[in-house]
Amino acid sequence: MPRIWQRQRSQEALSGYFFMLPALFILSVFLVLPILSALILAFCKVQLLGEVRYQFTGIKNLLRMIADERVWIALKNTAEYVAIVVPIQTILALGLALILNTNIRGKKGFRIIFFMPTVTSSAVLTLIFMWIYNSDGLLNHILSFFNLPTYNWLGDPAIALKGIMLMNIWSTAPFFMVIYLAALQEIPASLYEAAQIDGANRWEQFFYITLPSLSPVTFFVIVMGIIGTFQLFDQSYIFSGGSGGPNNSTLTLVLLIYNYAFSNLDMGYALALTLMLAVVIMTVTLLQRTFFREEQVH
Amino acid sequence: MHRSFLQKLSHFGMAFLLLLSISGCHFGADNEYRDRTHLSQNSAITTITLSGWQSNPNESKILAAALDRFEQKYPEIRVKYEVINSQYMDVIKTRLIGEVAPDVFYLDALEAPLLMKYRVLEPLDAYITPDFNLADFNSALLQAFQYHNQLYGLPKDFSTLALFYNKKAFATAGIEPPPQTWQALQTVSQKLTRDRNQDGKIDQYGLGFAPELARQTFMIRAFGGQLINTQGCAAFANPAGLKGLQAVVDQYRRDRTAAQASDVGATWGSEMLGQEKAAMVIEGPWSIPYLKETFPEIEFATAEVPTIGEKKGTMAYTVAYVMNRQCQHKAAAWKLIAYLTGTDGMKAIATQGLTLPARKSVLAELGYENHPIYAAFVKGAHYATIWQAGEYLPTISAHFNNQFLSALFGEQSLETAMKKAQETANQEIYLSN
Repeated sequence: MPRIWQRQRSQEALSGYFFMLPALFILSVFLVLPILSALILAFCKVQLLGEVRYQFTGIKNLLRMIADERVWIALKNTAEYVAIVVPIQTILALGLALILNTNIRGKKGFRIIFFMPTVTSSAVLTLIFMWIYNSDGLLNHILSFFNLPTYNWLGDPAIALKGIMLMNIWSTAPFFMVIYLAALQEIPASLYEAAQIDGANRWEQFFYITLPSLSPVTFFVIVMGIIGTFQLFDQSYIFSGGSGGPNNSTLTLVLLIYNYAFSNLDMGYALALTLMLAVVIMTVTLLQRTFFREEQVH
Repeated sequence: MHRSFLQKLSHFGMAFLLLLSISGCHFGADNEYRDRTHLSQNSAITTITLSGWQSNPNESKILAAALDRFEQKYPEIRVKYEVINSQYMDVIKTRLIGEVAPDVFYLDALEAPLLMKYRVLEPLDAYITPDFNLADFNSALLQAFQYHNQLYGLPKDFSTLALFYNKKAFATAGIEPPPQTWQALQTVSQKLTRDRNQDGKIDQYGLGFAPELARQTFMIRAFGGQLINTQGCAAFANPAGLKGLQAVVDQYRRDRTAAQASDVGATWGSEMLGQEKAAMVIEGPWSIPYLKETFPEIEFATAEVPTIGEKKGTMAYTVAYVMNRQCQHKAAAWKLIAYLTGTDGMKAIATQGLTLPARKSVLAELGYENHPIYAAFVKGAHYATIWQAGEYLPTISAHFNNQFLSALFGEQSLETAMKKAQETANQEIYLSN
């Protein structure tokens, strides 16, 4: 009896793999193979134009990375971007979700309006924002109407990245808002009722019921936010016309990788940078996981 | 049980094969033009692919008309023209690597050294016949596409920079004639910088300029500086190289009589001139059709770029047709290049006035030398610095532009900024080798 079972099981496994064969094939060709070749080529000097040549260079690409000032600028810009955008967009998303979760009028209308920027293509949004940010544009007109200082949003290195931050917060916060909104509706009403009977006020209800119940969602939102912001590319690419200017102020890691890979055709070095970005994102996510776990224990 | 399993297996096998064949079809569709060339070989028609960019829709129309005439002259050749407008060189380089690059394409002199070095272009010397009359080309332009005594591209046209000025603004300020020296330009700029509605914000700047190496290289050379040394590394950060650039920075920061396009909400120089946000700009002949079409009410004139350091100077930009070394139909591709850079083809395209023809005879025939607006550009060709400096120029240019901007914004002195630009550019060049 057990033997027949075993045979049946192995046959089932076999047919299972046959079911998955197309997917396995596609995944290995388009996912596993590129990742493996990226891992290997990151330690090579690659010449692609004309005669294709590979030359193993060991850790030369890593040493170059440490000496490359633009990598540090890009890292600093990216870190600054993540540090400002992620908390603000998370808090904003939570705030918006809390407001929309109450019984205000026209709830559905607001949801649609808030969600609009998220479904719009980021390239289109960037172009619209560049028009708004133009030194003769809408934003400066509004600012000068209220006698506030105006800025050269696109040209001033001190401001340009802030402009992109503003735009990104505005366009991604609603997406996370929708996730929060779904999570808020999952919290059982009985918890709030019990708390009310115990005499908890609204703030206490928020801090002791809502926030803890939302913590897995918050983890998700922050991880997605960090990954998304670390990979900032299209906005700064369009903003600066691909250069990361003015004065490297909108240079992000992915933009730098793009420039090395496709403008300088320095594929080996670009892959080494990609590897570094992956390690950075993984580290940050792992750090966060331990942090959140500790909180759950308490 | 066993049988049904085999049956299942064969079904999966078939489904899998089907999937493969579908994806195979898809891959085939991507290589459409290659298939077409194969097909057309049978019917004795050769298809040549041509890629370029377009500055305006009119340019493409004129080129399409020229290509039609070419196809009439050579009925056995079809030309498939494709416009690549964004990040042209990134696209071309990637396609060269993927071996799907067009047979003939535009190549800016700036990028030529790199492609010539990596031997992805077909040398053209063997194709050139005496009646093609190579000597008719401006020799400085030809030089830009020569590498180890071989010619890899035939210039289709060139542009130089000249001073555009708003005649009305000059008349209002009582300025006549246009400034001849850089000092005069700075004095005149002060008169032209005006706050018309007295709101404390300047409405019209004297000079609109572009803080890019592509536009400023002649300023580096004005007092004897050099952009690169013999190894092709950056070598501009020395007193001689900085003197000209300092004049630009001073006018921007100290006098506040010059502006960049982004300062006044424009995208480029001629838009500033057209919107009357700058009374003078230094731009190329491509601005002439633009200004006439977009800002017909603006009365503008041109003059040579004012002398700097008692020397005349300006920039020249040139673009050539080059042939892909991997091209399958080189004879036909050469016919296309020869037609487009031949006297007739070049004349047809040059009449739109965006650029100047690379052949001396065509330039003379179009009468640009005595044309009130184009003369300044033609004169500039005699002393212009061609925008090309070895294979590392794109790297040097990127670092220069970044640091020059930061000097303009006053984040650091010009000297510090340029030293940093030179060091970082050279370091990158060193590390990439």
